[in-house]
Amino acid sequence: MRVLLLSFCCGLIFMLLQTTLFAAVLPPELRPNLLLILVVYLSLNESFSRAALLATFLGALQDVFSGTTLGLYAITQLMIFMLVRLFAARLNVESRRLLLILLSAGTLMQAVVISFLLALFADAGAVLQILILSLPAQLLVNLLTGFVLLNLLLKVQPLLGTRLGMAGIPYQSKHHGA
Amino acid sequence: MRHFLKRHQTLILAVLLLLAMLLVYSFNLRQKSATTLLERVVLAVTEPLQAALTLSGRSVGALWTRYLWLIETQEQNLALSRENRELRASLQGVSETRLENQRLRKLLDFVETDPRPVLPAMVVAEDASSWARTIVIDKGALQGVREGLPVVVAEGVVGRVIKVAPGSARVLLVIDASSSVAGLVQRFRTRGVARGNGRGLTFEYALRDETVQVGDLIITSGMGGLFPKGLVLGYVTQVQRTDASLFQQIELHPDLDFSRLEEVLVLLEPPP
Repeated sequence: MRVLLLSFCCGLIFMLLQTTLFAAVLPPELRPNLLLILVVYLSLNESFSRAALLATFLGALQDVFSGTTLGLYAITQLMIFMLVRLFAARLNVESRRLLLILLSAGTLMQAVVISFLLALFADAGAVLQILILSLPAQLLVNLLTGFVLLNLLLKVQPLLGTRLGMAGIPYQSKHHGA
Repeated sequence: MRHFLKRHQTLILAVLLLLAMLLVYSFNLRQKSATTLLERVVLAVTEPLQAALTLSGRSVGALWTRYLWLIETQEQNLALSRENRELRASLQGVSETRLENQRLRKLLDFVETDPRPVLPAMVVAEDASSWARTIVIDKGALQGVREGLPVVVAEGVVGRVIKVAPGSARVLLVIDASSSVAGLVQRFRTRGVARGNGRGLTFEYALRDETVQVGDLIITSGMGGLFPKGLVLGYVTQVQRTDASLFQQIELHPDLDFSRLEEVLVLLEPPP
């Protein structure tokens, strides 16, 4: 319960930052998607059911702050979680680079799922064009922010007395004996 | 059966969650104008925080652009000097300015003639995604705001309210890709639909034979009943006609900077 609440509060703070401070100084395509980074991290670090619920709930939270319809980001974040989990079970998640690669895959996946859902269920209009044009900048910004946050986290973790090392190790060792 | 469920419980959970979210999404697509409980609660809780953060963000932004980020200052100086010379030249055409004045005064007449009360609101947050264009204002249901009300500034249409919480509301900007407003060319009365494309607007369904020229002013037509007639949508920047299409391809440039919106006006419902 503590982890769920902490992750949700973290997501809320990220959303507030994205909609206010970042919005004041950065154009939309250069604002990092902090919630996506959080979902990728949680997908590697938490148990399946907990991470699935968190991804869905954080996605719903993002829906409140963006777009017009509740549910779009909830589906998207859930699918990103599944994608990350699929890869995490097959790759060495001890590598920091892997988290960044998964973050890139998540950014691409997000653009694809949003485009697909909007094209299928709603009137996508010029959204596809906007998404494609902003994708390179989004990739770069998310990677850079992910790198900074990851390094920050690895430095802070020992001070808090929590687990050491990269995300994913507890999960991997518990489930695969790595 | 029990063994099967236990063995595949994670997959089943994931599929069930995905299906549930798809149902929620498709239900909300049909109920677009309704604000859900989750949205109402989160918007109500976060609005004061957003207002405080936006104010501090603006201070940081001002500090950054005024004192640190001066790369474009010289270019802007040159551009402003050029603009100054052009303006001096254009001052000579006083009669032209007078005509423009009359036209603009006509446009502003709607405020006097429209019986709707106007509610000023402050922009406290922007959209969290890179593709949608919405803003959050600090006025909500308690102040009489409801879904569908038009939001304007002196320079023209801003958008319409799509979600309402007790003390705040979300506004879909006209430049959002899912926004469309019925409009007409002020000079030639050519009708069409102004659709957002993220950065500006396109004017669609204007027949190929109709006259539209670069620089023409596009205003709301009042069709659909959402926006009052005569509000500025933007100026025509590009017109393309092809033999293959029945309609012209027209690009519009809104006369306001949507990334710098601070105060807006909500046009409330007219008193009964």
